[in-house]
Amino acid sequence: MKEANEKIRKGLEVLGSGEDSKLLSHLNACVRCGLCAKSCIYYLSMKDEKLIPASKVDIVASVYRRYFTFTGRQLPGLVKARDLDDKTVTEMVDLLFGSCTVCGRCVKHCSIGVDIEYVVRKGREMLSVMGYVPSTLQSTVRSALNTGNNMAISHGDFVDTLEWMEEELQDEVDDPEARIPMDEKGKKVMYTLNPREPKFFPISISAMAKVFYAAGESWTLSTRMYDVTNYAYFSCHPDEAAVISRRMYDEVNTLEAGMLVLAECGHGVRSNRWESPNYIKKQFGFEVLSSVELMAKYIREGRIRTDRGALKEKVTLHDPCNLVRGGGIFKDQRYILKQCAEDFVEMTPYGTDNFCCGGGGGQLAMSEYNERRMRIAEIKAEQIRKSGAKVVAAPCHNCIDQLSQINFTYKLNVKVKTLAEIVADSLII
Amino acid sequence: MPTIEIEGNKFEFDGDGFLTTPAIWNEEVAGLIARYDGIEELTDQHWAIINIIRRNYEEKGMAPMIRHICKETGLKLRQIYELFPLGPARGACRVAGLPKPDGCV
Ligand code: SF4
Ligand code: SF4
Repeated sequence: MKEANEKIRKGLEVLGSGEDSKLLSHLNACVRCGLCAKSCIYYLSMKDEKLIPASKVDIVASVYRRYFTFTGRQLPGLVKARDLDDKTVTEMVDLLFGSCTVCGRCVKHCSIGVDIEYVVRKGREMLSVMGYVPSTLQSTVRSALNTGNNMAISHGDFVDTLEWMEEELQDEVDDPEARIPMDEKGKKVMYTLNPREPKFFPISISAMAKVFYAAGESWTLSTRMYDVTNYAYFSCHPDEAAVISRRMYDEVNTLEAGMLVLAECGHGVRSNRWESPNYIKKQFGFEVLSSVELMAKYIREGRIRTDRGALKEKVTLHDPCNLVRGGGIFKDQRYILKQCAEDFVEMTPYGTDNFCCGGGGGQLAMSEYNERRMRIAEIKAEQIRKSGAKVVAAPCHNCIDQLSQINFTYKLNVKVKTLAEIVADSLII
Repeated sequence: MPTIEIEGNKFEFDGDGFLTTPAIWNEEVAGLIARYDGIEELTDQHWAIINIIRRNYEEKGMAPMIRHICKETGLKLRQIYELFPLGPARGACRVAGLPKPDGCV
């Protein structure tokens, strides 16, 4: 009993005692117009009312009313206030972790600007400090905390893989001096990776190395802290997110790099660039760029040259929520594609109105909800099919994995590629 | 946990289609999962990959690096993706009966 009360106390602490005015106004503002329903992939594909974005706000709001308002305390039934008991927690986990990719599309469509995404994240934070993060997601966070990367890759295996990719690069550019530098101090750029690259899909490592080679960049990878992801950003545990963020910040300083360049990873860019200073309560003394922005800059400044007809097949672009809607990086990926491909076509809708691939918000790590994840993916599958494209470019490794599964499940017969791969194949050296 | 019936045999998979109890894996199970994924026949090359994945899992409790798979089998990266169209994780590791690896796969 005591333990249960302690959990509830921790959870409620996240809601504060009415001091977080942003949270308060967003919890109370919803006018139940229902407009947000049609923006949500979960509601659209399952047509279940409890999946409407407003319901996800409401479950958090109902707990708030129960403990922090006068009527809620005295007459909870009157204001539909809910105890933070097992039943509520189970529903919260299912709605906030299991039925939301935190894509933020609903926020754009809400008539009065309720920040639904913010409330969902607060609700996740409550569950997180109470210890209710779905086990598969928590296991990914734990790997990162314990080993420095979310796939528990050993240092030796990582170095071995980089050496292998360096050989591939040397073959590719026919230059035995071409390098993938490791742990070198004082370079202009410290580059990062998503652990799935060294573990299973290393082509994008040699691709980006080829781009750096062509640009004559001064760069390095760290072999200690290279993981661009921060899954605690999805589990919404502020202390764990801060530990991971701080390691990246410290490593850039240790290697005395001038700039942190984030690999193609939507949440990795968002968490390292925009959330990290809040997590660790520090302003960065170095520049932070996504590799998408950097590659566009190289082309614009003439540091690399690409063949505009290199990619002949029709190509479309997936906009990762955290990079585009959440991060405002919209033009650069289009500019890059137009410099490498003959026939580029947008999906409908696209840009800040694009649909999530279905794998965001940590869904890809949560086997618990896999079936739903593939159901909501039908929307993305249709978008791709209608575009008529044969290649789907996606500047996010998380989206790439979901898109590859969509490709298989919905028999789309497309190729899914990172921008680095497309640029590397178009380079004129 | 969905139970999937493949050719009259019932198997428990996690939501992602990975075996819930890796211990029940055997060669026949591998063939059945592969067929479910559209791989009609497991060739020697498939088996070379599967065996390395199994060995690594039994020794270290996790899937091997793709580097390791290429080195041991002598196969090229591209060949591995061709042999297992769902990739080394969702394809090969699943056929090899491993639990789902952590991270963006
Ligand atoms: S953030 Fe995305 S998935 Fe979550 S409720 Fe809003 S539209 Fe739906
Ligand atoms: S659109 Fe906004 S105000 Fe309307 S129901 Fe949805 S969250 Fe509430």
